[in-house]
Amino acid sequence: MDTILSVVGALPGGWTLLAALAGVIWGILGGAMPGLSPSVAMALLLPLTYGMDPTAALTMLASVYVGAEYGGSIPAILIKTPGTNAAAATTIDGYELARQGRAGEALGISLMAGFVGGMFGLAMLVLATEPMAAVALAFTPPAYCALGILGLSVIASLSGRSLLKGLIAGILGLMIATVGTDPVSGVSRFTFGSPDLLSGIRPILVMVGLFAVTEMLSQISAPAWDKANRRDTRLKLPSLSMWRRLWKSQVIGCVIGTFEGLTPGGGGSIAAFISYNEARRWSSKPEEFGKGSVEGVAAPECANNVVTATALIPMLSLGIPGSNSAAVLLGGFLIHGLIPGPMLFQKAPEVVYGLYGGLFAANVLMVLVGLVILTPCIWLVNRPKPYLIAFILAIVVSGVYATDTSLTDLWVVLGMGVVGYGMRWVGMPVLPLVLGAVLGFMVESNYRRSLVLARGDHSIFLQDPVSLGLLVAAVALTAYSVWREYLKPRSKDA
Amino acid sequence: MMRLAATALAVGLALLPAPSMAQAKYPVSTVTLATHSSPGGGSDVFLRELVKHLQPILGINLAVANITGGSGAKAMAEVAKAPANGSIFYATTPTYIQTTLLSKPEAGYDKLDPMMIVFLDPTIIYTRAESPHKTFADVVADARKNVGKAKWGAANPASLERIAFEKLNRMIGAGAAIVSHEGGGDLMINVLNGTLDIGVGEIQELRGQLEAKKVRLLAVLGEKRLAEFPDLPTAKEQGVDLIVSKFRGLAGPRGVPDDVAKIWEDAIKQALASPAYKAVYAKEALEPVAMGREDARRFTARFAEDVAISLKELGVIR
Repeated sequence: MDTILSVVGALPGGWTLLAALAGVIWGILGGAMPGLSPSVAMALLLPLTYGMDPTAALTMLASVYVGAEYGGSIPAILIKTPGTNAAAATTIDGYELARQGRAGEALGISLMAGFVGGMFGLAMLVLATEPMAAVALAFTPPAYCALGILGLSVIASLSGRSLLKGLIAGILGLMIATVGTDPVSGVSRFTFGSPDLLSGIRPILVMVGLFAVTEMLSQISAPAWDKANRRDTRLKLPSLSMWRRLWKSQVIGCVIGTFEGLTPGGGGSIAAFISYNEARRWSSKPEEFGKGSVEGVAAPECANNVVTATALIPMLSLGIPGSNSAAVLLGGFLIHGLIPGPMLFQKAPEVVYGLYGGLFAANVLMVLVGLVILTPCIWLVNRPKPYLIAFILAIVVSGVYATDTSLTDLWVVLGMGVVGYGMRWVGMPVLPLVLGAVLGFMVESNYRRSLVLARGDHSIFLQDPVSLGLLVAAVALTAYSVWREYLKPRSKDA
Repeated sequence: MMRLAATALAVGLALLPAPSMAQAKYPVSTVTLATHSSPGGGSDVFLRELVKHLQPILGINLAVANITGGSGAKAMAEVAKAPANGSIFYATTPTYIQTTLLSKPEAGYDKLDPMMIVFLDPTIIYTRAESPHKTFADVVADARKNVGKAKWGAANPASLERIAFEKLNRMIGAGAAIVSHEGGGDLMINVLNGTLDIGVGEIQELRGQLEAKKVRLLAVLGEKRLAEFPDLPTAKEQGVDLIVSKFRGLAGPRGVPDDVAKIWEDAIKQALASPAYKAVYAKEALEPVAMGREDARRFTARFAEDVAISLKELGVIR
């Protein structure tokens, strides 16, 4: 109770509120810009915070994170390009809805789901930091490996018509993840001497190529699709009956997002994909998924915004940054002479509670900013196609290049665009490839780390209780999905 | 050359107001200090703090530029081809040597001329508070007794810390499993949850856990004890001659005149002596060494040679 009162007392005023607003706006822009990740958007603002009061500075950085994770869904829905890793799952149904002329509705749902997720995550952060930090510590290398495998098991239900093609795509993704420094020996793999490839191929580049560039290539080669979204050019917030339909998927998103946020590595993307999958399983209308389901937008968007708050738990209470974004925030603490860790809550409680208050404000402001900018965004993507495609390609290319001024990155994106186009041509799903590229490194590095620890004995994966539980879940999930997708007699929807 | 908005922003913000009476003898009015780390990263923080204390002494504009990408390759290339008139320097760390050895950057460390080594970063071995090992000597004795049982962790696979543990493994014949990670945080989780017996890293990364008394420091991998932890013995004192010298310095393009290097050396020495700066770097447990040009060149060449040999021994490079 004391904690809640302290947070209420720390609700921001004046400068901190302004910092939250600036952070949210910048974050939404950065998140919506394909190629710019939330952590880069945060890092760009970091120098500005050097001279600020610590609470305002940290609130601004955390607000960028909140805004960016939401902002990633805007291009995911409107132009089938996730602005952030975690928004990849949103493209499936979000873009389908947009094509059916329900872009405004999809954007409204993702905005409100993001708000619900952000608030739920904040509640967990405020109320349950300590028990949650213990969960983060329970993750050993075998457990991380198992978590990655659980994430990969979603491939079974994202493969569309052909499981074989899905598996091929997944393996392509895993292959992409092997580029870079070997996680155990340190040998450079498939870098061809290029220092740009030493740290591997960032999954966001794969996604931008596979989604944005491929979509643009298909659109210019396809006859003009009827302008379905003319019908719906305004943002539409979910109605009461819509809320009733969405509650289940949001609960799923909240629970999964909470736990994924605690476990560094996969973060928002695993949370989003697993939530999407579970939402479909528990939905009363599973057949709509993939064809424009509102729940398919709500679940992942809720989950990835929960992560913006729960990812701070290991960072604040253990001093361990679980993601790049948390690492930038950690940098923000250090610059102000604050050391995150078990003692932070005693040494600088005013900053911690101030940050909580700032996060609360950021989530509210996110909705307000969303209400203002989303209608113009819909207008923007309804411009004539040639202009739109040129505009999007220009944004994508500059976003990718600006992050590291690397031409290699640009070639990767364009190359992936061509690969994606080819895959579409042969009817191979791209999502398994994305999952492989996102999770491959985590699975491989922790698999090998575990074996180094166990001296080659695979039973370590069964002895670790967390790992065992996750592996059983993965097997069950795969078996169920394969049964439902490929073996179950098709009565209605065949 | 055109810079991206990010760099421009960082540069713009780092430009501190210039004193009007710039020293006549320095050849240029603005010096760019380039780093491969992004804002908030290790070298970035080092440079920004250094600039604060150096600015009044040098009396010229000092701008920090974050040239990220390619693990330092981009920053090295940019500095190597810049004019050698003292207008640009690169903040060196072991990274620039490792990147050169591990890949084929456009310009490697050998295309730059070390001007100074400012600090050495102490490396320490630690364990969790609940660990049965009270000293590093305990760890060594235990590992010798139970050959093939010990589990040690280092931050990154091609890091100096991993090289150090591989050396230790050979020195004491422990046959320990050495697990590399994705950086210090990742490693710390596995030391804290007892997966690993010991970890090796930097004091700064452990600060939060140290305050909470959740980790125990076992040894400093340096020549002498740290001023901040006078009770923490070195590895050498505990019978194992294991030393890691991570450094922070400055290097320029080849051909920077000696008198320019001299101005820097004097200014940095003066800055290091100021109580205000001292307070800052003492808190980070940095050891000021202020090696001048000749020493820095020798130190760097020797360091690169050692790392190259170790990486070859590990089979990381051919």
